[in-house]
Amino acid sequence: MRYPRRILQLGFTLLLGACGGGGDDGGGGADAGTPTLGGTAIMGVSADFSGLNPVTNSAVATGDVINQMLFTPLIQYDQKLQPVPYLAERWELTDTSVTFLLRNDVTWHDGKPVTAEDVKFTFDMAKKPETASLLASAFLNQVKSATVRDPRTVHFTFEAPHAQALDGFYWAPLPKHLLGNMSPTELGQAPYNQQPVGSGPFKFGSWKKGERLTLVANPNFPQALGGRPNLDQMVFRVIPEATTMTTELLTGTADALGFTLQPDQAKQIEAQRSVTLNHYPSREFHYLGWNNTKEPFTDPRVRRALAMATNRGQMIEALLQGYGQPAHGMIPPWSPMYTATEGVPYNQAAARQLLTEAGWRDSNGDGILDKNGRPLRFNLLINTGSTLKADLATVIQRQLREIGVDAQINQVEFQTMLKQHKAREYDAVIANWSLDNFKVDPTPLFSCAEARKQGSANRTGYCNPQADQLLQQGLRATDANQAKQVWAQYNQLLQQDQPVTFLFWSEDLGAVGPRLQNVEMDVRSKLVNVEDWYIPANRRRS
Amino acid sequence: MIAYLLRRLIGAIPLLLGILTIIFFITHLAPGDPLGNVGPNVPEEVIQQMRRNLGLDQPLHIQYFRWMGSFLRGDFGYSFAQNRPINEILPETLWNTLQLTLIAMVIIFSLGMLIGIVQAVRQYSLADNLLTFLALFFYSMPGFWLALMFILLVSVKARQWGLPQWLVFPVSGMTSVGAEFMTPWEQFTDRVKHLILPATALGIGAAAGVARYMRGSMLEVIHQDFIRTARAKGLSERTVIFKHAMRNALIPIVTLLGLYLPFLLSGAVLTEQIFGWPGMGRLIVDAIFQRDYPVVLAASFVISAMVVFGNLLSDVLYAVVDPRIRNG
Repeated sequence: MRYPRRILQLGFTLLLGACGGGGDDGGGGADAGTPTLGGTAIMGVSADFSGLNPVTNSAVATGDVINQMLFTPLIQYDQKLQPVPYLAERWELTDTSVTFLLRNDVTWHDGKPVTAEDVKFTFDMAKKPETASLLASAFLNQVKSATVRDPRTVHFTFEAPHAQALDGFYWAPLPKHLLGNMSPTELGQAPYNQQPVGSGPFKFGSWKKGERLTLVANPNFPQALGGRPNLDQMVFRVIPEATTMTTELLTGTADALGFTLQPDQAKQIEAQRSVTLNHYPSREFHYLGWNNTKEPFTDPRVRRALAMATNRGQMIEALLQGYGQPAHGMIPPWSPMYTATEGVPYNQAAARQLLTEAGWRDSNGDGILDKNGRPLRFNLLINTGSTLKADLATVIQRQLREIGVDAQINQVEFQTMLKQHKAREYDAVIANWSLDNFKVDPTPLFSCAEARKQGSANRTGYCNPQADQLLQQGLRATDANQAKQVWAQYNQLLQQDQPVTFLFWSEDLGAVGPRLQNVEMDVRSKLVNVEDWYIPANRRRS
Repeated sequence: MIAYLLRRLIGAIPLLLGILTIIFFITHLAPGDPLGNVGPNVPEEVIQQMRRNLGLDQPLHIQYFRWMGSFLRGDFGYSFAQNRPINEILPETLWNTLQLTLIAMVIIFSLGMLIGIVQAVRQYSLADNLLTFLALFFYSMPGFWLALMFILLVSVKARQWGLPQWLVFPVSGMTSVGAEFMTPWEQFTDRVKHLILPATALGIGAAAGVARYMRGSMLEVIHQDFIRTARAKGLSERTVIFKHAMRNALIPIVTLLGLYLPFLLSGAVLTEQIFGWPGMGRLIVDAIFQRDYPVVLAASFVISAMVVFGNLLSDVLYAVVDPRIRNG
């Protein structure tokens, strides 16, 4: 709980200094020797998981456990983020439909086989509006219907073609034989979610709420999908305070941790001999949102000028300790759909000139630009509880002040901020956005249709018919290369219009202790190869 | 006395219901709702449906009567954030918290009173000065800082210095991983070891405070005529101190005890946070941030009930230690 972060930080430094000499040998993470079976790994997590149900889950950390450990999604991703067969052995993809042939050797943890019926059941359950499933809105919004051809074959039809149609199938079925009678409104509260019967490489073990979740190896997991995991058990311990969690890692009472490290903590961890820092691209970008429906931000020139006056490099170096890269659009640099886009350059002189063109000049000599007697002054909305956003606001305030723009920081509690942001009752805001999947879809943030809706995700109110046209082209293109070109044009247009000023893609910061070997973490998940993790026999806890 | 107690207990019912009503409307009036935390990518239609599933689409007064109705039947409803019945969450969390706070209370009062008495009896001695210094030190240090220092000393450093195993304490959590495979005795010692650091971090500052009260109150009593009389009668020093002086000096301590009772069940956010202890403090704070109304209400009920009964209990205890109040 983001309490006296600064003071705890002091403790963090002290503890870390104290732990310095403690490590016995080189850090984990890298592969050292042959994997062996057995052992219990402990991973620290900052908050407890929510219900373990692929259809009703909405939390990223819980989704990782569901898709990488407890359940078997239809597809997985390779390192280049291309879909590869998983529960589906192969598929036939057309512009309007896809047919999946399922593996015949994947079973539920109670022994029953995973069938096409389970897949259809899960799809139908997710699609029912009463379920209020995020699976339906984030993954299945372009999938119309499912039909079972035979126990191993399931056929899906699409609403419209899409170049990345398969990305809509990164989800795992639920067991129909256990949940068949569940009403969709009650699925979220089903006792099943507290002790699920899954189908993945790990089985549910036990769950002490707020304390720990234990998963055990599934000996019957098909060899072709990696077989039994190396570890006997994986224990997730809930340790809300980052300082404590890191101490656990350094004293060897935890083997890995994710999510919670702050960039400055990561910097300190990186200096530790016994621990390996894992930093890898996240799916999250921060942006400076302008209220496009409100003066002075109705003028794209003003938005572009303010973008030119913000120095992203400085933010990344000073606030992220270098763990991030500049963002010039909502397609991340690691995406197969990414084309390097020239962003608006950091140039104070050009920014001043652009503002002069737009009619803003300092006529009364008070250091703040003005136009028709109205000074270029606005409220910069941020939420409390985020050190990063508070620091960002201060940096941006200072950078804008240099070109005569006065940003007044308005820090409010998260839910209050959200309400104002949604209702477009703000001038400018610092916010972050996280991608659910690897499918490119700027519709929620930037389309005219969403701009007209009350309380939609298009909180800037940005609407440009030309951009909308490109958006439709990009979404409908079925050829990946063609889609990529359209998205590059779209991005260029966004750079011109600057509905928001993209700041940076941050990195996720995790760490691995000396026991655990062969740990890979990347943008797919911090658990992406959890079944390959192992602890050499001589390093196990007694 | 019984009639008085009954009157107080019955009087507490409308008080508690009033508190709950106020809290109900305040939490619902605060901006945002339990669905504020779902990602920004979630379409508004889905959020509306979730709201319907949770019954949040109803007018506020309907929600209030529904909640009050099920509360009066002893059902606190479902936690929005944990998707579990609160009647399942509350006992677990209360028990976790009680283990921690009971030990902390024992530390606060036994240690505090003991130090206070020693200081009063040996006023202005070296021991008195030293204890005053220590008490002020611990009293002034914030609990979370002490907690981090404890972790540094008896978890991290103790391990590095190679101290014997029984002097090395776990950093956080309630039990070791694998505790379910231990013998009952090992499980017990494991739990005690996990308890010592958080309970001490939680208790030692307050113990120092109690010591100051006890010292002052003891000093006042010790210089009174009836103590001189007791000594003149030839009573042993031990009887004079523990029977005659201490009992009279206890009155302010009893007030403190009543004030501390709610803390037994409300937990301590920072300590729980640092030591990864899944107690009431964390439950409440998380629930407030997530706008998990049913949990906020259930926890508020527990805490306000404790405040009311803590006051009642300290009134009863006054009567026990001080006959003047009993008769009056």
